[in-house]
Amino acid sequence: MSSRLTAGLLLMAGALSAQDARQIVAESQRRGRADSQRYEGSLEVVGANHKVSKKSWQSDRLGSYGNSKAIIRFTTPAEVKGVALLVVNHPERSSDQWMWTPAIGRDRRIAQQDRSTRFFGTDFSFEDLEERDVDQFDFKLEGDEAVDGAACWRIESKPKQSKSSQYTSSRVWIRKDNYVPVQYENYVKDKLVRRLVEKDIQNIQGIWTARLLEMTDLGRNSRTILKLENVRYNVPMKDDDFTVQALRRAM
Amino acid sequence: MRPGVPGAGFALVAFAAVLSGQDFTQRGFLEADFIGYPQTAPNDSGQAIGEALFRYEAFYKLNSNWQFAAGIEARTDTHEQVDRAWDFSWDDRERRRPSFEVRQLNATYSKRKLTLVLGKQFVRWGKADILNPTDRFAPRDYLTVVDSEFLAITAVRATYGGQSNTIDVVWAPVFTPSRIPLFNQRWSNVPPGIAVDELRPSFPGGSQFGARWNHIGRVAEYSLSFYEGHNNLPLFNIQQPLPLTVDVERYYPHMRMYGGDAAIPLKGITLKTEAAYFTSTTKTEDEYVLYVAQVERQAGEWFFIGGYAGQVVTEHRSLFNFAPDRGLTSAFLGHAGYTIDTNRSVSLETAVRQNGQGLWVTLQYSQAIGSHWRATAGYTLIRGDASDFLGQYRRNSHALLALRYSF
Repeated sequence: MSSRLTAGLLLMAGALSAQDARQIVAESQRRGRADSQRYEGSLEVVGANHKVSKKSWQSDRLGSYGNSKAIIRFTTPAEVKGVALLVVNHPERSSDQWMWTPAIGRDRRIAQQDRSTRFFGTDFSFEDLEERDVDQFDFKLEGDEAVDGAACWRIESKPKQSKSSQYTSSRVWIRKDNYVPVQYENYVKDKLVRRLVEKDIQNIQGIWTARLLEMTDLGRNSRTILKLENVRYNVPMKDDDFTVQALRRAM
Repeated sequence: MRPGVPGAGFALVAFAAVLSGQDFTQRGFLEADFIGYPQTAPNDSGQAIGEALFRYEAFYKLNSNWQFAAGIEARTDTHEQVDRAWDFSWDDRERRRPSFEVRQLNATYSKRKLTLVLGKQFVRWGKADILNPTDRFAPRDYLTVVDSEFLAITAVRATYGGQSNTIDVVWAPVFTPSRIPLFNQRWSNVPPGIAVDELRPSFPGGSQFGARWNHIGRVAEYSLSFYEGHNNLPLFNIQQPLPLTVDVERYYPHMRMYGGDAAIPLKGITLKTEAAYFTSTTKTEDEYVLYVAQVERQAGEWFFIGGYAGQVVTEHRSLFNFAPDRGLTSAFLGHAGYTIDTNRSVSLETAVRQNGQGLWVTLQYSQAIGSHWRATAGYTLIRGDASDFLGQYRRNSHALLALRYSF
């Protein structure tokens, strides 16, 4: 009887933990929602040999999470200027992605199995550029942990069967005061492969926004620092500007 | 040869200079190349060639509906592959590469699901990477056969559709031929002692038309395409008025194409395939099928493309032609690349003839220096039998050193 009760309480606690974790992530996503977002990103890629290369892109996003579409267009360096990536996110499955390379005048669909490769020499993989809808993962609240002095929930997420991901699991730290995710750790099996730290959190048009993202590839011992400039939300954008056809109109 | 447009390119630059702001963007580069051939060719003793190319492109978005693109090129070389005239070329019909050229000049109108592009533009069809049988609106500069570049065409292109289905209709009122090797230089393989008198080419009148339906599905992408016009690669009328002299006239046969292509992601690889059936009302042109099937994969810092290109001639009628697209068939094709770090990469591209009579391999190392400079060093090896399309260029193996400043 007592073992049944213990098992029942444990199951109930586990269910509550999963429910709480999901609610926290859902609330975090709800607070970050906007009709659209535009920013100019400047990137510094610091290789294992400490060599630094700089790039910049402009990002336009229509919608938020599950149903969003985004175009990232490189603006520097000169030799990759105009290269663009279209990401079409889906609520029930992983995103579709196409890359446009103006030098050869061709678009290319990024296949699912190629999403773990690095995006144009940065430490972000193609998969890291898609938005993660809350329904595509199972969550587990692992406890409380402070990041840079801010109290956070530590939550483990695992992709559901329908979701194909290079990562076996991830951990996310979400601040308790404003529900902003400030750190992600991505694992392949039990090995930590990438860490994303989000800093310089500012309230922009009512949305708490991290303006500095640092992605570290622990396998390569390299990191990419992405600074977001001129962040604007709810900029008028058209659905027709987020298609493969529109991608070819790259400037 | 049609006259060029003196000063047109400078007007483009001046126009671009007065535009500014977020809706205006520009890019370009200045590149210097050195090409060294270890062997002389029977009709060309030159072994060292220097080339310089300046390319400038500007884009302006007037409003949410209208966008404009303009591009010019200026080039010179030490081997007279580039014209010495100072005119601007528009239609790319010159025998040599023009010293000044309008690379593109077009206006794009887009509204809802319609995109309309008018003017000189690049049109690319197909999904394969090494050989594209359906890419009919993409003539190339084949002056140095294995290092070809695409040429723009003057056309009206209308694309209608959303993300899943698009119809692409192209109408080109002016024919743009591919540029073939010069007869007095090593890539033409004219036997020693034979004088070639190149007659005025016979360019076709009329327009070229094509339509393509493309579908993007959840699992795969595929398209069907149709082309009615002329082949941008020539056939030759050859006469021999004197024992060691031949008169050569280029003409461009009628071509009708029915084609299709598909990209299918499978577990671990992506399968891409493309095929086209070509018919012609020109009595001296072959009728044939070209097809290519390739697989590709990116893994870590590597990417691999490997495949096979084939040809089935349903009716053989031509005697003399220049057809590098067909010349690359009955061959295994491959392309591989490795990114060493953010600045350095190596790549290898190859075609190996199925019967072993022809081989082409290009190995390149490339390194970025700072934000603007890139140096590239490479070697192209060509081997084979004189009767083979690739093998006939076996004395044209060469080394390349290139330095590019991009802005």
